[in-house]
Amino acid sequence: MIIPLKQHIGAPCTPIVNIGDEVKRGQCIGEPNGLGAKIHASVSGKVVKITEEYIEIEGADLDNKDYMKIKKCDTIAETAYEAGIVGSGGAGFPTHIKLQSEIPDGYIIANCVECEPILNHNIRLLEENPEIVIKGVRYAMEATKAPKGYIAIKEKNKKAVESLRNAIGDKDDVEVKELRDMYPMGEERAIIYEIFGTWLEPTQLPIEAKCVVMNGETLANLTRAVEDLKPVIDKDITIGGKLKSGKESNVFFQMPIGTEINELIEQCGGIDGDFGEIIIGGPYTGKPGDMEKSVVTKTSGGAIVTIPLPEFDGPLGLLVCACGADETRLRDIAGKMKSEVVAVTKCKNLVEVRGINKCLTPGHCPGQVQGIMDLKKSGAKRVLISNCSDCTNTVMACAPKMGVGVYHHTDHIFRTVDHELSRRLPVEE
Amino acid sequence: MAINAELAEKLKNEVAVVCCRVEAGTIISASNLEDPGIFPDLEDSGLLTIPETSVKIGEAIGAKLLKTIDSLTPLTPEILEGMKALESEVKNVELDNDNEKAVFKNNMKVGDIITAEDLENPMNFEKLEDSLLIKLDDSVLTRGEVIGKKLSKDTPALTPVTKEVLEGFNIQQSTPAISTGNGGVIKIKIAEGKGIDIEVPIFGLSSTPVVEAKETIKDIVVEEPKKKPEKMVRKLVKRHFNITEVKFGEETKIEGTTLYIRENIHEDAVKVDKLVKNIKVEIITPDKYNTYSETIMDIQPIATKEEGHKLGQGFTRVLDGVIMMVTGTDENGVQIGEFGSSEGILEENIMWNRAGAPDKGDIFIKTEVTIKANTNMERPGPLAAHKASDFITQEIREVLKTLDESLVVNEEEFVQMRRPDKKKIVIVKEIMGQGAMHDNLILPVEPVGILGAKPNVDLGNVPIVCSPLEILDGAIHALTCIGPATKECSRHYFREPLIIEALRDEEVDLCGVVLVGSPQINSEKFYVSERVGMTVEAMDADGAVVTTEGFGNNHIDFASHIEQIGMRGISVVGASFCAVQGALVVGNQYMTHMIDLNKTEAGIENEILSCNTLTHDDGLRILAMLKAAMAGEEVKAPERKWNKDIKENNLQLIEKATNKKITRPDNETSLPMSEKRRKKYS
Repeated sequence: MIIPLKQHIGAPCTPIVNIGDEVKRGQCIGEPNGLGAKIHASVSGKVVKITEEYIEIEGADLDNKDYMKIKKCDTIAETAYEAGIVGSGGAGFPTHIKLQSEIPDGYIIANCVECEPILNHNIRLLEENPEIVIKGVRYAMEATKAPKGYIAIKEKNKKAVESLRNAIGDKDDVEVKELRDMYPMGEERAIIYEIFGTWLEPTQLPIEAKCVVMNGETLANLTRAVEDLKPVIDKDITIGGKLKSGKESNVFFQMPIGTEINELIEQCGGIDGDFGEIIIGGPYTGKPGDMEKSVVTKTSGGAIVTIPLPEFDGPLGLLVCACGADETRLRDIAGKMKSEVVAVTKCKNLVEVRGINKCLTPGHCPGQVQGIMDLKKSGAKRVLISNCSDCTNTVMACAPKMGVGVYHHTDHIFRTVDHELSRRLPVEE
Repeated sequence: MAINAELAEKLKNEVAVVCCRVEAGTIISASNLEDPGIFPDLEDSGLLTIPETSVKIGEAIGAKLLKTIDSLTPLTPEILEGMKALESEVKNVELDNDNEKAVFKNNMKVGDIITAEDLENPMNFEKLEDSLLIKLDDSVLTRGEVIGKKLSKDTPALTPVTKEVLEGFNIQQSTPAISTGNGGVIKIKIAEGKGIDIEVPIFGLSSTPVVEAKETIKDIVVEEPKKKPEKMVRKLVKRHFNITEVKFGEETKIEGTTLYIRENIHEDAVKVDKLVKNIKVEIITPDKYNTYSETIMDIQPIATKEEGHKLGQGFTRVLDGVIMMVTGTDENGVQIGEFGSSEGILEENIMWNRAGAPDKGDIFIKTEVTIKANTNMERPGPLAAHKASDFITQEIREVLKTLDESLVVNEEEFVQMRRPDKKKIVIVKEIMGQGAMHDNLILPVEPVGILGAKPNVDLGNVPIVCSPLEILDGAIHALTCIGPATKECSRHYFREPLIIEALRDEEVDLCGVVLVGSPQINSEKFYVSERVGMTVEAMDADGAVVTTEGFGNNHIDFASHIEQIGMRGISVVGASFCAVQGALVVGNQYMTHMIDLNKTEAGIENEILSCNTLTHDDGLRILAMLKAAMAGEEVKAPERKWNKDIKENNLQLIEKATNKKITRPDNETSLPMSEKRRKKYS
């Protein structure tokens, strides 16, 4: 079992065990180095290898779900620190830091918006065990003194909404907020905009809107830590795509961290014939992973096996967007399509914040005509875009009119599972 | 801007989008709705996305709005109560999978046997087509047809499966072969108003449209047996005398084919007008085509009426092989020209053989007139230059009159016929007359003379009806100083291709030519264009063509003339240089049949004399378009951007329909590239 030492924002953890040590499932094996979160063994066994990147444990009893409990702490924030909780949505921001905020007139927002299609595990959790998330919201409210909690979820997830509402009952401290089905509605600034109507700057944190936004699964982990003293050693994950078991997504609840993605794919019957990529993460922000090396981490959302990329033997233009693939990823896709990249343009709302592409207004298009015209002028016959729903819609309103064909970087993924392609928006409301 | 009820009725099948905020409970009326004409711009600029579920104007009007919506929101069924049903389109649900089109999901290799797994889910077809990644036309086979078939070549994913990529695939013989060659509908398109385009006739691809096409053609062409006889109105004969040499001599005279010009003639010409400060007369023979010239103000035929014959009828004498070329500057050396000028090496700046240009091989009698400083931009200055030049022409005319008839090398006969059984058409030529410097002298005594002519501007730019033969006999002495590529020189009118083609066309009844100016002041523009409408209405014409020279400001008049004619229920075709640089700045709902006169590669005013003026092939396209319009043919909506292929497509359709070859005119690429052109346009 490979336990990566970096499963969060910040520097990798420092191992606190040595080769040959026997460790117990739940035992802390890595301490953060500055910003970060503790890492625990997800399996009992012997440490056989330690590198700068991971600790390898030879598991003794993989089926044993018991674990070493964390110590009881005085505060919820401290509990979160001991449990090594980080944002499970992808970024891996340490949760204890968020919980140190004091927002007596603020809000806890549970981000259950699940903005990546195909990855279904969060919604499944809400359908089957809404209490664990609701409780997490309440613990987070307690920790931050926030009087109010929202659970933001897409309106299309009717069953999950209903089960949340049933679980909340008459109480009004926590409220369910239904949002439209747009990508990237789950971006935290987009959620805040949808609920409160104001855009934060890309450099601003939600706290500036008196909000703490946390992923639903993170909050479930908080509940587990507070009530069961359980550290983050297991992860919910979705495996989907071109699998022998079919195109339906497979949700695995609470898989030990370090489990090989390969093994989960095998559990789904294995890959069905030729494939293109194995995307680690969701269709929009996921990246192709190495099947042999990829393991479940605290932030893994899923793995999707795709069909091969379509070949296009012509000049391709790239439109880079903060909400989807970055330029490196688009070039990677273009290469796999055997296309020649003749031009690259960036969405005008893309800004770079601390090395990460951020969108000024996720999900709200600033207009794309100029970019597409520039790509066309540079000789692009078709464009590969990575935009959110709204910007994609704008591209579709102009590019075909100019005779420019449009690929979306999610196409091959969605085509694999018969998911609707990201193109023009249907009319809402 | 909101539309009115009348327009709403006309546009009932267009998408309904509110122009302004509309409150819940409002009963939707035309005044709530945006003009669909601007949707493409709005869509292009991202201001508007028309959803698939949007409702049509016809459906929306009278319905009650259920929620308050903001401006530029397309109306959709969920927010309306009491929508009217237009012809309901029942969406065909789920076809049997086998009948869906086959598109490869995987990159396929030669020899692969196609399985269902290799084929894309049809759910994505609409979006993939929308994204221009696939095109599902009739050649695409169905899933049922391709499964189990073997590939004959490597084919990437997202390629529709056609028989070309399959081994030994026999298409069923049930598909009727497409016949070609006989009749096509000349469908022309055009944009309402903006973006000019010309349209493309569409060939029926299935048997049904082909039949319709034939009938349509019949409508226009093969008329019922004639009841009323054709009538000849008048006849004009141009007697051509050949000139092979032009020299200076003691007196102006013609001996054989040699024209002598009095060597001191400039001394008298300069006295014609006090604004003329100097005049230089040069004889440009073909070996001097590579010499520099000031901007070319006009190209004129040297022609004269025979004794007792009026302009537009009887005999006209004209010299072949020689033309008058008027050039000039003011005393400060400023060119007499406005939007661009054509000074430079002659052969780099003249589009040979256009109606208004010299023919290659012509000898030019070139005057270089210097007028008083700073008078180059007002009417009297250019007029003085023309008067001085015409003094020379007149002296030649006098000797031409005396030539022996035995020297006539060719007689050209123009007959104006009225054909009462045919559709009556009128040609409206918008000529320049914008106060400052543009003017045209109308109806001189001599072909393209000055004496006796009235300036268009002084006549108030109002429409003047001429016979087609008057125009072809030099009724217009052109002082136009607009861009060289579009301006119609005097010689253009003398050889006007559209009029000549219309006279030749036995399927139409050309009743006359209306000349109308282009006043500078907007209120005068509408005063004038309404007179055009009234004139054409009084003629009881079935169809009209409006042509213009130049572009930009005069397109306001142009659009207004078309509107005034169109609103009277008369079919109308517009012809102008538009393309890229001259794209229409205004438009209206009657501008549906448009012909672009551009000839340049880039669609620009390239400052080459006559390059973008009306040519014979344009004349044929105009007439075909007008016949289509009069037959009630729909024209396709224009493309958003100028596309020169449309013109070629239309020409090919006309060639097919008429079985006659149409000569395509050359453009600037046939000329040596001038330094100016290289710098400015390439």
